[in-house]
Amino acid sequence: MSADQYSALRELFRPHVESFDYFLDKGLDEMIQSIRPMVIRDPNSNNTLKIILEKGHVLSPMRDARSGVLPLYPQECRQARITYHGEFKVDVCFQYNEGAQIRHTFNFGHLPIMLMSKLCHLRGADPHKLVFHGEEATEMGGYFICGGMERLVRILILQKRNYPMGLVRSSFLKRGAGYTDKAVVIRCVQRDQSSVSMKLYYLQNGSARLGFWLGGREFLLPVGIVLKALIDASDREIFTSLTCCFSDKHGKGKGVVSTQLIGERAQIVLDEVRNLSLLTRTQCLVHIGQYFRSVMEGFEKDDYETVAEAVLKDYIFVHLENNHDKFNLLIFMLQKLYALVDQTASPDNADALQYQEALLPGHLITIFLKDRLQDWLRKSKRLIIEEVAKNKGFDLGNALEIRKFVTKYTSSVSRAIESMIKVGKVNAQSGLDLPQRDGMTIQAERLNFHRYISHFRSVHRGSAFAKMRTTSVRKLLPESWGFLCPVHTPDGEPCGLLNHMTSTCRISSFYNSEGVVKNFGEMKKLLSAELVRVGMNPVLPKIERTGPPEVLHVHLDGRILGTIASATIEKAVNYLRTLKLLAHSGIPEDLEVGYVPLSFSGAFPGLYLFTNPARFVRPVRNLFILSDGKQSIELIGPFEQAFMEIRCPDGGDGGRQEQFPATHEEIHPTAILSVVANLTPWSDHNQSPRNMYQCQMAKQTMGFCGQALKFRTDVKAFHLQTPQTPIVRTGTYNKYNMDEFPSGTNAIVAVLSYTGYDMEDAMILNKSAVDRGMFRGHIYQTECIDLSTKSRDNVPETFAKSVLSRDTSSAIDSDGLPRLGQTVHPNEQYYSVHNSLTGVIRPVRLKGTEPAFIDYVAVNGAGSKHGLQKANIRLRRVRNPIIGDKFSSRHGQKGVCSQLWPDIDMPFSANTGMRPDLIINPHAFPSRMTIAMLLESMAAKAGSLHGKFIDATPFANSVKQDKDPRKPNSIVDELGPMLASYGFNYHGKEVLYSGVFGTEMDCEIFIGPVYYQRLRHMVSDKFQVRTTGRIDQITRQPIGGRKHGGGIRFGEMERDALLAHGSSYLLHDRLHSCSDYHIADVCSLCGSLLTATMIESNNQKKAKHEMLGLPTVRPPKNFACQACKTSKGMETVAMPYVFRYLAAELAAMNIKLELRLSNKSGLLPSQES
Amino acid sequence: MDRPVGASYQRFPRVRIRDLKDDYAKFELRDTDASMANALRRVMIAEVPTVAIDLVEIEVNSSVLNDEFIAHRLGLIPLTSAAAMQMRFSRDCDACDGDGSCEYCSVEFHLAARATDSDQTLEVTSNDLRSMDPKVCPVDQARAYQQALGGTDPFGANTSNENRGILIVKLRRGQELRLRAIARKGIGKDHAKWSPAATVTFMYEPDIRINEELMETLTVEERRRLIESSPTKVFKLDSANQVVVDNAEAYTYDDEVIKHAEALGKPGLVEINAKEDSFIFTVETTGAITAYELIMNAITVLRQKLDAVRLQDDDGDLGELGAHLGGP
Repeated sequence: MSADQYSALRELFRPHVESFDYFLDKGLDEMIQSIRPMVIRDPNSNNTLKIILEKGHVLSPMRDARSGVLPLYPQECRQARITYHGEFKVDVCFQYNEGAQIRHTFNFGHLPIMLMSKLCHLRGADPHKLVFHGEEATEMGGYFICGGMERLVRILILQKRNYPMGLVRSSFLKRGAGYTDKAVVIRCVQRDQSSVSMKLYYLQNGSARLGFWLGGREFLLPVGIVLKALIDASDREIFTSLTCCFSDKHGKGKGVVSTQLIGERAQIVLDEVRNLSLLTRTQCLVHIGQYFRSVMEGFEKDDYETVAEAVLKDYIFVHLENNHDKFNLLIFMLQKLYALVDQTASPDNADALQYQEALLPGHLITIFLKDRLQDWLRKSKRLIIEEVAKNKGFDLGNALEIRKFVTKYTSSVSRAIESMIKVGKVNAQSGLDLPQRDGMTIQAERLNFHRYISHFRSVHRGSAFAKMRTTSVRKLLPESWGFLCPVHTPDGEPCGLLNHMTSTCRISSFYNSEGVVKNFGEMKKLLSAELVRVGMNPVLPKIERTGPPEVLHVHLDGRILGTIASATIEKAVNYLRTLKLLAHSGIPEDLEVGYVPLSFSGAFPGLYLFTNPARFVRPVRNLFILSDGKQSIELIGPFEQAFMEIRCPDGGDGGRQEQFPATHEEIHPTAILSVVANLTPWSDHNQSPRNMYQCQMAKQTMGFCGQALKFRTDVKAFHLQTPQTPIVRTGTYNKYNMDEFPSGTNAIVAVLSYTGYDMEDAMILNKSAVDRGMFRGHIYQTECIDLSTKSRDNVPETFAKSVLSRDTSSAIDSDGLPRLGQTVHPNEQYYSVHNSLTGVIRPVRLKGTEPAFIDYVAVNGAGSKHGLQKANIRLRRVRNPIIGDKFSSRHGQKGVCSQLWPDIDMPFSANTGMRPDLIINPHAFPSRMTIAMLLESMAAKAGSLHGKFIDATPFANSVKQDKDPRKPNSIVDELGPMLASYGFNYHGKEVLYSGVFGTEMDCEIFIGPVYYQRLRHMVSDKFQVRTTGRIDQITRQPIGGRKHGGGIRFGEMERDALLAHGSSYLLHDRLHSCSDYHIADVCSLCGSLLTATMIESNNQKKAKHEMLGLPTVRPPKNFACQACKTSKGMETVAMPYVFRYLAAELAAMNIKLELRLSNKSGLLPSQES
Repeated sequence: MDRPVGASYQRFPRVRIRDLKDDYAKFELRDTDASMANALRRVMIAEVPTVAIDLVEIEVNSSVLNDEFIAHRLGLIPLTSAAAMQMRFSRDCDACDGDGSCEYCSVEFHLAARATDSDQTLEVTSNDLRSMDPKVCPVDQARAYQQALGGTDPFGANTSNENRGILIVKLRRGQELRLRAIARKGIGKDHAKWSPAATVTFMYEPDIRINEELMETLTVEERRRLIESSPTKVFKLDSANQVVVDNAEAYTYDDEVIKHAEALGKPGLVEINAKEDSFIFTVETTGAITAYELIMNAITVLRQKLDAVRLQDDDGDLGELGAHLGGP
């Protein structure tokens, strides 16, 4: 066993682990240093105290033991339902009155540690060590353990960072009067991963407003003011740089983005500023400062210019540090905005993956932790200021006192992180520029391996879109080709919003392929140098004089590096791609070379380079550069992919080959499928929705959820007793070691209509096959009983058994916990609890209707002073296949077992004597067109005869190397001869004999092994039946709900059906006799239903009976009307009890319900009022 | 017996045994019809009694497999059941109230295994089962015993392969399995573990007629292709390049040859009919009883069932035979 054995699996989980690694490595310190130091000023003495956060430390998870501090392993955390976390400390410096800095290290509690991250004890462990520590040999990490739960951060889709997008949205109109629906939007991301989104709105008058969010509201600044405040530029300079992209000589040619209107607009932009009489940069800064001083926290005492500088630094293009860069980008955005308005550039589609990136766990935690640390600083400051105001003698220099205040809220920081992972809620005052506040984390369910992997590969669009009426966000767009799987998305509510990454898709990270943190500064320098070499004009001084179509702007991570002549740009792009592939060029291999070519009002042209992390990337083969095998694999992103020519073996030339020769090639057509979709054999022969259903069902199968099941404490785990490896499998199956977690059985499936019990997707199982163990399974349920938190009234409770009890037959052992291996029947005691106050032993009984075996009992924290208080009891329930259980093949063909048919009655083959394990109906095929299932049956038959596994990788035909015309082209023609060589029918059919009559059946039957999965939906969990039982207290009708033994509602529509049939007796029986049948006493005089009261019968008669020794006959009850004071008119009437309840409710509202009684023979028709 | 017997319908089936090994038999059944043949097949699979482990009391089980799993695996181990016909079903055993621990209806087994200090995993197999009755033991133990006696391998398996038994569970160091198991008599209808048959199948004997006249019109190459059109080797070319039937029983009624002949435009070239009254049986057993016993016991059981039907007509009291009837 080697660690590399599972490297393909590890690769799938890398985005999670790597992002958290970076957080631990560098991200934490970077983030802490980016927090603005807090200055506290004492108004009395004018002393100042500056609090600077300097460095963070996170330690590996440890636990206290008697023999000192020991490493805490994940397994212990799952068992004890605690969090796998390590200590978190921050170095904080205090600077008193510009004096020396005094460093203190504060303990901020514990931060959850991601499994397999750099601080995890299992990092780099080989399978032996993993198994030793109670983990799977394949354990890939990527999740957190919080309170015993395995939770992972959901990858969310965000807007692509540092790229200005042109959008048309009607919601922009609502910004105010004069606004249009067009804007250029950019999401700027700082080095610490926190982001600020900015929008440049177009106004009807031709000007623009720059909008950004601060303190919960959007601020809108005239763009001219921002331009002038950024750098000392004259109006003329601004005018020329804005209008430089327009030139008369091009007219409406290719790549022209500007019209002559731009001159007028530039004038309007400048006039706006002049009208406010802001002429110089300082004036603009003061104007901004005045506007923002009240909302910028911590700048209440500063002058306007400082405030304005801070606004520009913290909210305007935060990804750039240099004001010149910001100015250039703003000019570019204005040009793009005007191009969008003039329709010389098309709007960008915000739903396309081209303009999207991923939110990764490490980044989310960094962002949220920064917010919490800032919050802690604010709170501490408030405390100190309050103290200063209260206590005149308080000295800010008193380090001891200050420490006391500062430590007050430290633990809230880590607690917030932990609760964020536990419940997925981000509790921050500002939105942190995140798309949603809750649902950030999900549970990593280990129902089976497919489901488990899918959690880590899933990408969600954001919960806000789930509520949207429009379906445009859910659309499958061509931009996501190769990055998101088109097959693997659930149908129904989250369809199209919850996608899955393809098996080859990766996410760019801070680490290069050697695992070293990338040096972005170095990269930038190198790239600029290389670009200059291929003809780029750097924008160094400040202002550029031309624009498209002569030259194209070169952006690097949202910074304009310079311009490059459009004539030479293709060469430059190819050069960059060569550099990407060279191992030691210093250019990152996942550099995104987004070359948007000149076009007729297409996307705004330019060369956009991206090196940042959190981008989707995938490998394709570069055809022209270095075609020496391994080196030609290039990583591309969705942005550049839209403008590249990538050939797919399955797609032919697509009619473009002559004009646009392919520069790249797909490595394999299956690269567009996710791991789960890739496991469907020959999915290219199936109707596409069937493949989607299979992705759904693969995640619901009852298979091997884990080999470390013995050590696991999942609330519910499904386990197949004797799974098999599929005979027909795809290449992916081996690549990802799916044999470690098999999920089905090769069942001999006959396709015929036999007995009629296989109609409508029902299927017949062979009883003998089931007897021999096919599809047998178990459900494991772990109950965690924690008496320390559950105890009522704070009375300590412990597990114990009554000393008086001599009962050895019960499942409870002497310690109050159940015996291992014991069978517990429903309603039987299985553990008992001792109340230390009352001394009462309270036994706890098993709920449900199924017997269970005690599989495992673990005591947590034994030796604590309260005694036995915390235990995990794992119950095992046997689930053999029964009628009503659900099964499915790997082709979206699910069915319900309708009969366990005796072996002898099954059809049999005369030469082999084989009886099928399973019979399905031929009608399952024509409309569903799951041809791959038929192929699988043939292939598995040939494979089992031949003694080898059959490769069923989809699209295999299109990538076949030798195009030998003599070789068979179809899979059938490959399999047929194999079958025939073993004496079987070429097409997999066989002559079967009726098991009942022993006669030959008229048709040849298609029979062969098909890999079948047992789904987790079982009747035992679902059946609902009742004759009598609990009733509702108020209405006296049967209660609902399976858990409580309730009935199934016989509703209005069911009632209608019975009425339509005229079956009134049955209707009466269902709705009255079997429901709330009631005999009410009604006073016929006053018609009241409620006034009947019982009169005490005279006890004399009863006494007399007793004296004579006669059996006491219950005297008839006598009723009288309370209102009429007589029992004369009392009658008994049968009615539903709810009717009486209705009368009472009406009476409470002062409405009298009066009944008029009459005999059937009565003259008056009965009336009710 | 006052009922008139339809003498004219009475037939006297003939059996000719072609091949008989301990766990394999091939025989012809002639002069009867499909109902009879199928009844024999069904009885062999589902109603010939054997002995199999039915009740397991687990004392210690620290293996990786859970109790039910092990119990299920034990049940599926074939036990030598030559005495099963004479045994009683424990449900109607008078001697023991059906609790299964008496000599007439049950056999007790013990298994105790513990992986001690060795680093290798210990394989617990059917050889570790200790029977209380020498007549009933796992089949491979019985085989090993016979081999040890110096006799030849009765099952005809290659003797060089040492007898490893049927794997029940593997134990790691420190793990232990200790249990008591009770084997009972039962039939395959109740649970597949009691079925003595691995495979029982029969086919109609094919009656192949080659139209020599038409065959003459075919070239040698066409004849060869006709022969190859059948996936099983039914025909062959003799020395004179004439198509002759090589092995009629290899024919699977797949009609491939007939279809091929039709495709050649020569329907009727080959005519194949099933003989309605002769069957070729193939019987394989699990080893619990020999193939011979299986056939003979099946006939006994079938006869008992028929007797029961007759008795039912007389007085309705079926006695012990009712058990074999099953169903209402």
